[in-house]
Amino acid sequence: MPIIARAGQSIGCFLYVLATQAAFAQHSMNPAGTDLSEPEFTVMGFGDISYISRDGSSQDGFAIGQAVAHLSASLGHSFGVFGEFSLTARDTEYVAEVERFIVKYAFSDLLKLSAGRYHTPIGYWNSTFHHGAWLQTTTSRPEMVRFGSQIVPIHFVGGLVEGNIPGETLGLAYMAGFGNGRHSNIARAGDAGDVNGDNAWMFQLHTSPARYRGLKAGIGYYKDVVSPTAEPEVDEKTASAYVAWAKEAPEIIIEYLHSTHELASDSSVSGDVDAWYAQFAWRLSGKYRQWKPYARYERNRIDDSDPLLGDLGLDYDGGILGVRWDFNPYAALKGEYRNEEFDNNGRENNFRLQVSFVLAKL
Amino acid sequence: MRMNAFQSLGKRMAARAIASGLAVLLFSTHGSTQEAVNESAIAIVVHKDTQVQNLSLNELRSIFLADQQFWPDRTRIILLVRAPQSDERTFVLSSIYQMDEAQFRQYWIAKMFRAEVPRGPKIVFSTDMTLELVLAIPGSISFMRANEVTDQVRVVSVDGKLPNDAGYPLK
Repeated sequence: MPIIARAGQSIGCFLYVLATQAAFAQHSMNPAGTDLSEPEFTVMGFGDISYISRDGSSQDGFAIGQAVAHLSASLGHSFGVFGEFSLTARDTEYVAEVERFIVKYAFSDLLKLSAGRYHTPIGYWNSTFHHGAWLQTTTSRPEMVRFGSQIVPIHFVGGLVEGNIPGETLGLAYMAGFGNGRHSNIARAGDAGDVNGDNAWMFQLHTSPARYRGLKAGIGYYKDVVSPTAEPEVDEKTASAYVAWAKEAPEIIIEYLHSTHELASDSSVSGDVDAWYAQFAWRLSGKYRQWKPYARYERNRIDDSDPLLGDLGLDYDGGILGVRWDFNPYAALKGEYRNEEFDNNGRENNFRLQVSFVLAKL
Repeated sequence: MRMNAFQSLGKRMAARAIASGLAVLLFSTHGSTQEAVNESAIAIVVHKDTQVQNLSLNELRSIFLADQQFWPDRTRIILLVRAPQSDERTFVLSSIYQMDEAQFRQYWIAKMFRAEVPRGPKIVFSTDMTLELVLAIPGSISFMRANEVTDQVRVVSVDGKLPNDAGYPLK
């Protein structure tokens, strides 16, 4: 879809949000009592501004991150709509995007059906933090799941079935999805249909044991046939595993992903992707409770023979050290040093200072 | 910014909420939360039609964390939580959520952000408001001091124990 058309579509959605809010303002003038079958709306916003300094760069300076708007609407007890819309600064323009747009019907805790545009439920980070830098400890996502990543299909358009598996001890939950695979521009989802008629599917199983509140571990699998622009079709199979301890002292996230890409017409042409990161953080206690030092190491390796990603130069090694200061209940300042190597081209240092915030009220 | 039609309950309840909120603020200046709560255990109360007599502490945590969002009869669970500054809230955050205010806020924002819940917990400002809303909303669950419970709502036992029993976990 042309960029202009996409932007127009997204701006239309922003206007829809504004119109909805106007409708809400009128609606809220009348006492609604306790009838929860009436529509109920929640709006949140996220934003961030960074200062970035790089080795030998002539473009050091401030960068406006994403401005993100969230709308969720509860339309009765079981049906809800969720939307996430972003404006991202580029060199010469702001790009509007519908990041997520989901309609969901919950039959029970065991069975929830939804359809729309998601962040693909591969691994932990991509389905936990989404947009909104305030929610994540670090200034940015790991490279393997950065927005626009080609290693992982960040977005997915289709349907999901999810739910909790009964039994409080293990806290098992599942998620299975079926829908459009990657677009021929492999960094994008197939927003207007599957480009080759061969749908993607995925499955994820995770556990959050009651005895160890804060612990979450999961495995997942994703399968698609990708048709890159002017390239032959490629079978893509991705397996992922993660373990996360979400309490803040400590916070530990380890995630691993392995993909196999194989030429659909010749299985002897294939290659593998191995990508992982480990993040560690510790919320200090007492009068220093607003401070949270953190570190992350990450590494992505792609076989040169990989028919989908082999010649894109996506190898990466990076280490970061930083500290987050929650100077306000709804805002944080993060200072971060990074030492990175892109595509084996030598290491570089950079420093980032970021203020991020959420517009929300509980 | 969360805009909740539910909060428009009319002038009478608003006035009572403000008065009760002020009372809680004044009360909270005396002694610690634990001392205040020790005067009476925290009772878990539900709408009278809810077909649940007992919850394990783990089940209670799952409900308060919105990991469990439906009762066994598939009625949607509506969680009512006291506003900040109340001793009851501070006690529940510590004993059930095992979080402080900042973690609680971030937990719910993240939960809504992941589209796992359509809304956060509904905020109530007083025991009177809690009683009125638990009475009025099928599927609702909340908490209050045991000595303030009336027969308008039903108390559920936790790990098989009621607030007056020895070993009740929310004391």
